[in-house]
Amino acid sequence: MSVRTRATAPRTPVVPLLAALLLPVSATWLPTGPLSAQEAEQVIPGVALGLVYETTYVPPIAVLPFRSGGGDESQAEAVRQIVARDLRFSDRFTVIDSLPALPGEGIDYGLWDGLGADWALTGVLERTGTGEVVLEIELHDIVFASLRERRRFPLPGSGDPDFRLAVHQASDAVVTWVTGDNGMAASRIVFAMRPWGDPEGRSKELYAVDSDGENLQRVTWDESIVVSPTWSPQGDRVAYTSYKSGIPVIYERELASGQEHPLDTGQDGQQITPTYHPNGSTITFALLAGRRSDLHSYDARQRCCLSRRLGEGFHKNLQPTYSQDGRRIAFTSNRLGTPTPQIYVMPADGGDAVLISPYRYGERSYFTDPDWSPLSSKIAFAGRVDTGRTRVGGIMRYQILVADLEAGTNRLVQLTREGNNEDPSWAPNGRHIVFTGERSSGHGVFVVDTGTGRTRTLVAGVRAEDVDWSPLLGRE
Amino acid sequence: MYKTRLLVATFVVALVAACGSEPAPPPAPTGPTPEELERRRQDSIARVQAAEEARMRAEQEQMEREAARRAESLRRTLREVVYFDYDQSNIRSDTQEKLRAKADVLRGNPGVSLRMEGHADERGTSEYNIALGNERAEAVIQTLTGFGLDANRFSSVSYGEERPMAQGSNESAWSRNRRVEFVITAGGDELR
Repeated sequence: MSVRTRATAPRTPVVPLLAALLLPVSATWLPTGPLSAQEAEQVIPGVALGLVYETTYVPPIAVLPFRSGGGDESQAEAVRQIVARDLRFSDRFTVIDSLPALPGEGIDYGLWDGLGADWALTGVLERTGTGEVVLEIELHDIVFASLRERRRFPLPGSGDPDFRLAVHQASDAVVTWVTGDNGMAASRIVFAMRPWGDPEGRSKELYAVDSDGENLQRVTWDESIVVSPTWSPQGDRVAYTSYKSGIPVIYERELASGQEHPLDTGQDGQQITPTYHPNGSTITFALLAGRRSDLHSYDARQRCCLSRRLGEGFHKNLQPTYSQDGRRIAFTSNRLGTPTPQIYVMPADGGDAVLISPYRYGERSYFTDPDWSPLSSKIAFAGRVDTGRTRVGGIMRYQILVADLEAGTNRLVQLTREGNNEDPSWAPNGRHIVFTGERSSGHGVFVVDTGTGRTRTLVAGVRAEDVDWSPLLGRE
Repeated sequence: MYKTRLLVATFVVALVAACGSEPAPPPAPTGPTPEELERRRQDSIARVQAAEEARMRAEQEQMEREAARRAESLRRTLREVVYFDYDQSNIRSDTQEKLRAKADVLRGNPGVSLRMEGHADERGTSEYNIALGNERAEAVIQTLTGFGLDANRFSSVSYGEERPMAQGSNESAWSRNRRVEFVITAGGDELR
């Protein structure tokens, strides 16, 4: 941690000149309100609405034009735009963007201080003797009038699939330099979706998209059904359920090679909702056998050895997700005897399960899709309570909630209010959450920042399901 | 007087006959030859036999049609979809009767195996609905084994909400999608 002490309030009012330089930054944000007439506000009783958003200061950063040592100015500008957008999407900065190139070398700290920037970022694209392109970025501290950090990032060719990933890593470095926290730009999101042009078709395939909504790709061509994909903690594999053999079976797919292995458990049954232990050693999933569905573990390294976790009565236990230390599991179960599911937490080796979703006796509530933050004791999930207010047009709407186990049992907040929202999954920074949603503007994949409550559209106009956010990718 | 007239008439007839022509030769033997007769006899036997065969064939076809109709009706009984209440996997009383009819067919056709395909409506998450569809398929299997049928004749798969029978986000579509379908996986050609 190298976060310096600095003021937590804006020092300088933004001068009109700066306002003139600004592009309409707010255009990238979905307004969180006001809701349209059809969109009744969805509030689950007994739950605090919205996070207690951080009042911490969001420092302005000027992203200056990147220079090109090799002469390719358009590529330098393309790289700068990727970085500027990543910093905006990080929700940790107020980005001062689209600035004119200023004459002269070096940073005029006095000028940027006067313009209200706390930080300035410069970049140079250089072609080395061996033909490699290297991005060198410099983070300047305007307040202390000094160079704060400098680092070089080798870039693959711009046609290379890892080109954007390398640029995203530079963006994440800036976030970490300033905040001390992980970024999440160098990551991807997988989900299941009916293929384009066949929305009513019978197949559902695996798709992946970059954290900034670029590079949307179809991953499988099985013409079967893909359900609940999940990333390995190393980011090299995705496990998911496919019906391609006739019954639901979990496959582990190596992303680089495209090779797949079914989970060979030696036991009959349908396998759904896989999740990896944070150390990658095991895959825990739900096995449907007879009327029950119970959580089981599988040795992902040896590719063998089914071990039973839970089992009592004719309950449905599924959707396991590990705590950050791997010692606890949150999962979905109807073990209370209610027909609808609730969220529970129990020790990873089995034992007493504690209810964490806001169940009230006699209330028809439905809570599902738990996802444990990779960095904290927070669990995101989706749910609804069947009250007059949550029922819109006969259809119950789901909202995204977050339970913080460290903050006590009553610490439950509802992150979304508008439309229908499901399948939350934490970003590797433990701060942003991706989810699928339906708004008056249509279906899509959205990202919400739990720090500020700001929401952006990741992929518009798609009926995605079962989104899962990767760990940070491309790390050695 | 009457006698005289009769005589005259007889004379006239005789005269006419005498004046007609040369006496006719004995008629040629125009009747069938013995071979022809035999052939005709055989033909007639063949015709009768053919008619009999046709009758039997028609009877057979009729029986086959009836058997096929019966098999089709049995198949329909076996494949009749059963429905469930929202978020429930317990067997409704109307379902109980449908399953009893299936059990009767299965008892008479020990070579028949079934795969139960469980489904759910679109409400709720896709994963939970797979578990729910599985519970429904297994509840049906449990009921059938409760009627004394061998569990080895049944397999199950749950599609959750992935294979709706009816499109739409309303109760009439949902009620048709909360179901178990039956696929005959063996013995379907020999239903009696």
